[in-house]
Order: sequence, then structure tokens, then C-alpha cells
Amino acid sequence: MIRLDLMRRLSFLAVVSCAAFPVLAQEGEKTDAPKGDAEESKDEKKKDEEERWFAILNGDVYAGTGEVLRGATLLSKNGKIHSIGYDLYVPPDAKTVDAKGYRLYPGLVAISSQGLLGNASGDFEDTIDPFSFRMVLGLGTGITTTGAGSGAVKLKRFSVDGAVLNEKIFSTFSWSANNPRGKGELREKLVVAAKFLREYREWQRKVKEEKDLPEPSKRGVDNNMLGVLQGEQTAKFVANDRDDLLGIARLAQEFGFRPVIEGCQEGWTVADELGRAGVRAIVTPRDRRTKDERQAHDGGASIENAAILHRAGVQVAITPATEGVDLGGLAGRDILHLPIEPGFAVRGGLSERAALESITIVPARLLGVSHRVGSLEVGKDCDVIVTDGDVLHYKTFVQWAVIDGKVVYDKEKELFYAHIRPRPEVAAVKKIDAGETPPVPVEPAEEGEKDEEKDGPEKKDGEKKDGDETPPKKDG
Amino acid sequence: MLRSHSFFIGVLLATPALAGGPIAIRVGRAETVAKGVVLNAVILVEDGKIVLIGEDLPVERGVPILDRPSWTVMPGLVSCYTRIGQDSEGGDDFSPDVKAVDELYPKSRDLRKVVEYGVTTLGIYPAGNGIPGIAAAVRPIGETVEEMVLDDSAYLKIVMRSDSASKKRLRDAFKKADEHDEKVKKAREKFDEKFDKDKDKKGKKEEKKEDKPEPKPEPKPEPKPEEKKVAQGEGQDADPESAQEPKAEAKTDKKADGFVPPAPDDKSRAFVEMRAGKLRALVTLAAASDWLHWLDAIGKEKIGFDVRLVLNQDSDMYYVFDKKTYDLEADGIGDRKIHAVVEPLLTFTPNTRRVRNLPMELARAGAKVCFTPRVDDLPNYKAWLAHVSELVGAGMSRETALRGLTLNPAEMLGVGDRVGSIEKGKDANLVFVDGDPFQPSTRIQAVMLDGRFVFGEVDL
Repeated sequence: MIRLDLMRRLSFLAVVSCAAFPVLAQEGEKTDAPKGDAEESKDEKKKDEEERWFAILNGDVYAGTGEVLRGATLLSKNGKIHSIGYDLYVPPDAKTVDAKGYRLYPGLVAISSQGLLGNASGDFEDTIDPFSFRMVLGLGTGITTTGAGSGAVKLKRFSVDGAVLNEKIFSTFSWSANNPRGKGELREKLVVAAKFLREYREWQRKVKEEKDLPEPSKRGVDNNMLGVLQGEQTAKFVANDRDDLLGIARLAQEFGFRPVIEGCQEGWTVADELGRAGVRAIVTPRDRRTKDERQAHDGGASIENAAILHRAGVQVAITPATEGVDLGGLAGRDILHLPIEPGFAVRGGLSERAALESITIVPARLLGVSHRVGSLEVGKDCDVIVTDGDVLHYKTFVQWAVIDGKVVYDKEKELFYAHIRPRPEVAAVKKIDAGETPPVPVEPAEEGEKDEEKDGPEKKDGEKKDGDETPPKKDG
Repeated sequence: MLRSHSFFIGVLLATPALAGGPIAIRVGRAETVAKGVVLNAVILVEDGKIVLIGEDLPVERGVPILDRPSWTVMPGLVSCYTRIGQDSEGGDDFSPDVKAVDELYPKSRDLRKVVEYGVTTLGIYPAGNGIPGIAAAVRPIGETVEEMVLDDSAYLKIVMRSDSASKKRLRDAFKKADEHDEKVKKAREKFDEKFDKDKDKKGKKEEKKEDKPEPKPEPKPEPKPEEKKVAQGEGQDADPESAQEPKAEAKTDKKADGFVPPAPDDKSRAFVEMRAGKLRALVTLAAASDWLHWLDAIGKEKIGFDVRLVLNQDSDMYYVFDKKTYDLEADGIGDRKIHAVVEPLLTFTPNTRRVRNLPMELARAGAKVCFTPRVDDLPNYKAWLAHVSELVGAGMSRETALRGLTLNPAEMLGVGDRVGSIEKGKDANLVFVDGDPFQPSTRIQAVMLDGRFVFGEVDL
């Protein structure tokens, strides 16, 4: 939690840390762990090696945890959020973005998407296309992390390293009234796995005295089930019918795990049961279905679904109807409209804070990466979007997207939205593509290479002007 | 200077002016590529080599002169990445032991034909995907394969795609090379043991000099390749043989202590040689991401490589031309100062109709651009110069364009000391045109290959 007084203290910290304190947040998974003295000195050595500072100045910071700091500065070091607050000391070599009048949000997390990583599939480390135009579109939407296939991956442009946050996100199971046998089999698997776990714990207790006691056999035990029951894996179901939802909730309570239910269209009718079972839901507020006439209870889709679920304690993540970049079919329902989708949940009564969380920290939790992304907190990855308004508003554009403390998207420098309401400071400067053919071909007299460099001084100046006002992209 | 040259010509006259005899060529303009433009150039050719080049040199009487003041001469074109005239099927995914030279067919009509389009050196690569094998630098005309070959291991072709298979292939290959290193190390240890034993025996027999054991020479990680490198530089012919044959005489004192490492097996040889700096790779990349994945795949391996960039209408390759523009974490292609083989093609910024001159951008970023025809067939060879002139029309300098057709690809093939420019001592591969080579109306009038006119009607 970020509080104002904490921020003040942090601003002091930031000043001191530049002089003596160890790096607050280094590379690595969980950064909250206190560090011993030995590690401090090690860190200081590391600090000498490389320090990459980045700051977003004067923006209104919507931390995604409920707090708002107006006109504050967010400082990042080596890709992690170093501090957020006022009057921070920004090292002179830090790259900066002036976000005066703009808002800062945590980078959005798409619970699932297709195509944003190029034609990558499976082994994202080996196949990600960090230059894909769909990745640019995703960043333009504000998405900085996405569930893709079986992994959680960042839209880390210009690099093929360190994009994968979590390699195994869900174990998917089926539970449906249409398939009673499948239900029975699933239950059986759970029973077997639970029995094995009991026996195993028993054995663990006893083996201390009786050294020769044989380990219980793992035969016939489903590994995924075991992972789910031990809390190492997240069980995901796709279910919409009231009966199925209830069945899953009861199963979860009986065996003690917290399922993720995708769809959950009739969830509002059994919200309390789902909340008690610790269900997390992935919903699409614009989903439509009619009530089954044979059913005596409430049913069908409701625009209040997300709001009612949230009120009952179900964590709600929101996803659009289509998970790809889809320019045909129904406009406005593909992954590029992720931030607009929660607006329909707000219409149905969901609070704006919960709506923001439904596309940031909640999906991050579901993907198992909330220790790194999903909110703006010290120690987390510096994945930030800077917008020109409320991120949930349809008119809002993402101006900059930052991943790991590096600007990876600047609206004015990309093809897609640069011409719509350009930022005032760049609207005046005429832009020419770096590789665009000069209007008049220049024939160098003698030494080709050198003259070629002279060809485009205007172009290069133009680019630099861009750079002066927008985040400086480069040092040599 | 001039005087001594003319004296030289006089001496040469003593030999009868037969096929290999001297011949002087006087043209209005010579694009030497290496040393700029020479106007009113006189070139003396003998025994297939360029003996002299200079402005307005006097020619001794008796030396036949080809006098064409309206012509321009340029070095023979070098196509370093081609399969023209080859038709055999490609190999499997991993065959770094295959050599393109083994499937070369000297009588191919296409090879004769490309000479008419000014091409005098070819880099023929083996067909196939993944790592199909080693390319050869050849002249397009010859009765036998031996006659054609300039260099039978010009580069190892590697196709890199953004997929797991490509990276796995590379990792496996380097693992095999590691295994070989391990083998060499073990052989070295065994040898040292034996060496010490022999020494001890001898020492005891002769006299008990000192008990101090011979200081054991540190096992070098890769003794063989390094020694070889010094010994024969870029040469590669008969390398495996020379490594194998001395096994028998291993005990004789050949080098320092006579250790001869075991030869690498077929599949690992190319990668062992690459690590030793004796063989370069040519990596085929089709998208910007392939470059980053390639750098990621080779990691800390120190191997020499050039790139073949497959350009298409919407190529996004410009993202990785240099590190600076897009703040990459890795080097750009230009930063490495390597050769980049591209087709002469104007492309679009993806998703737009904005024309880009990627080869020009590539050259500006620092890469050494080499051109390959747009498509590997005769019509595109015929239009090769015209296609390159489109890039010149769109801003590329003539020097870069010319170099990309001649000296750069020659250097890429490792034969830059023999062909690719008009310089004293180089092979007399010359193309004669009747105007600016980058004017569409210009025609090739004659082509000389190794001092012989192989195209064009030339009366002396």
C-alpha cells in the first residue's frame, strides 16, 4: 500500500539511496525479502556496474491499488519501480518523460490474447517477435503483460530476453452438465489425488521413526490434480451455466482449492456460493445469453454480473469477446478494446476501482505474476502506461507505454494513432520516416559513404527534435 | 613510376603474344571499386592477371591494344549467394558436412549464360533448410570442377528462424563441437602421460640427470585449430586429411612435442572450424526478430558470421540495423560491420505505402552490403544491374552500389584478394559497358574472365 506519508519518506529514501543505500529492487522474483549485510555490499558492487534510471515526471499516478498521487514522480531503477512520490531526486543521467497533465496507470494485463507476440507459439523465449506490429497495437491499447497459450508474457519490444514471466499458468479442466461422465472422472481424479496426499503426509510423519517405510505409490495419481491440490497450479474451468458453476464451487470447497472460472455468465445468480468457495472469475460484461426456459431460478446474462460477483467477494478479471487483434467482424470487441470492456461492468454497477483492477492486478494474480506486475508499487517491475485521460474512457489514448523502465511505445512515433489528436508539443514538427526516400536523390560527388551521411541532415534534425520533447530514447 | 611500368611492358614483350600473353586495354573510364575512378584508363593483362592499371599509360609497340574510348570497364560481378545452374535436391535439416562443391555441375548452360550478364564469380550454396552445408566460391566457366573452384569452403549456410527448432539445432551443433574439444583434451592428456613416460624411460637409460619431471605443457583447449590458423590462414583445402594423415608419425617431433589431435567427425567439423575462426557462417534471416534470436542462440560463442537478409515488400528488418535508433539491448547488424546479402529491392514501411531503401539504410548503419539477384534465375541476373540502379535512383551512392556487386561479395566469399576490383595482381575479371553501368540504356559489350574474353565480339 502506498500512502502519502510513506511517499514522503520514500522521497527522502530516494535521495539517500543514490548515495549509499543498496538497490531497493534488483533483478529477481520477490523483492520484498530483507537483505543481509553481505548482500548489501554485493548489491553495491552491482550498482557500480550498471544503473539504469528512468523517471516519469509530474503525472497523476493511479497506482491501481486505490491510491492516486497527483503531479507525482515515478522513478525506476534497472527496470524496477524505485520510488513514487514528490520532490524525488532524479539522477541527472536518468531518461525522463514529462507526463504533466497525463495519468499514469499500471500496464494493463490481458488474461489471454492471441497474436500480440507475433507468430510465436509455445516456447515464447525462442519464438517471440518483438517487432510485430500487433505487439505495437497491444501496447497502444495499454497491454504490457498477457496470458498467451500456457504462459504469461510481457510485450517487451526490441528484446527477446526476459519477456516470459510464468511458463505454466493454468491447468484446464472440464465440468459440464452435458458430460456427466467427465464430471465423475474429474471427481475420481480429485479423490485419488487427495487420498495420495493424505497417505504421503502420513508417511512423511511416520518415516522419521520407521526408516524403511515405503513411500506411497504415485500410480494412477494425476499430476495436474496434485499440483492443484497443493496450490502449485491454478485450476481453470470454462463454465457459464448456473448448475455447473455451483458444481465447481462445491467441488472446490470440498477439496480445498480456488478455481478460476472463465465465462461465468450466470455467476450473478449464485454469486454468494462462488464467493464463499473462493472462485476467481474471468468475465466479458458484454456477453449475452438468454435464460433457459425450463429453469425455475434466475438465469441468463446480466450486465450486473461483474458487479454482483465482485460484491460477493469473487475476484473478477475482464476480457473482451475476441482475444485476437480482429479488425473484421464486430468492431470494438477485440483485444484492442480491453480497457473499454470494463466500462460495461461499471455501467452494471461495478466500482471504477474494481473495473481498473479487473484489467490489472486481478488478471496478474490469476496468471501468478502479481508480485511483478499489475500495480504501481515500489519493487515491482516498472510497467507503466501514460494516458491522456481515464484509462477506461473510450476517448483515451495511451501516449507512452513503458516496460521494465524503458519506453517501448510512443503514440507519436508509431503509425497507428499518431495522426489522431497529436500531442501539442509534437504536432508542429513534421515527421519523416527514418528510411523514407529523400525527395530528390542526392548524387554524392566522390566519397559515397560519407556523403550519404550528409544526405539527410534535415531528417535527423527532425528526429532529434521529436526526441527532445518526447522521452529521450538513446544514449550512445 | 610510369617509366618503370613501360619498361616492364617492354620486358614482357619478349614472350610471344599467345593466349596468356599480354594485352593492353584502353577505355574511357575504369570503375576500379578499390581505388575510385580512373579516366582514360589503360589496363595491362597477362596470364589472366591484371598487371597494371593507370591513367593514360603508354603501351609498348607490339602489345595488342583494345582501344575503346567510349567504354567503361568495371570488375566482374560477384554473386555470392546463388544456386544458379544447380538442380540437386536439398539435404536434411542438419548437414554441415555437405559441400556445395560436391554437387557442382560444370556443364550447366545457366552458368555460361550468367557470364554474359557480367557475372564472373559465384558463391554456390548447398540447397536445404536448417544448416544445409558449406558454400563454394567458383568461376562460372570451367571444364572440370577443379578448374572452376576458387574456394571450396566459402561459408557455412545457416537458416535462422524465430522458432525453437533453429535454436535447438545450433545448440546441438555447438554441443557436438564441445564433445570434440573434450576428445582433443583427453587425447592430449593421454599423449602427455605417454610422453612423460617415454621421457622418463629415456632419461633413466641414459643417465640419472635430474629427478625433476618435465614441466607438463598445459593442455590447450583447442591446439589444433589455432596452430592451423597460423599455419595456413584462410586455406582450407585438404584440411581434414592433413589432420588425419600425420597420426602415424605422431611420435616424430613435428611440432613442439608432436601432439596431433584427433580430427573432428563430419557433423562437428564445420562448427569446430568456425570456433577456430577458419570458417564463417552466412545466416539467413527473414525478419528483424530472427536477428535477436540468432544473437541469443549463439550467446557467447565467438564465431565469425555474415547475414543474408531476405527482403520482402513489408520487411521490418530496419529495426535491427543499428543499436541506437530503437535502443536495442543487443548490437544491430550495422554495428557488427558484417556483410549483409540482400536483394536490390525497394520496400515499404510495413502497413504503409511509404517507400524505403533498406539496402541504403543498411549501408549507412555500417554493414557491408552485398547484392544478390532478386530471384535466383536468368531473367533476374539479366536485370541485376538495372535493379541495383533503382536503389541508386532512390538515394544510394554509386560507390556503395558498385561495391555491393563486386568487392563486398568477393570479400564475403573470402576471395577478396583475388577478385572484386580492378587492381594490380588481381584476376582479370572485367566487364565492359558502353556507358554508365547504372543507366538502363547501357549494355554489356564484353566480359573478360581470367584474362580471356568470354563474351562479346572483340577485335584487337
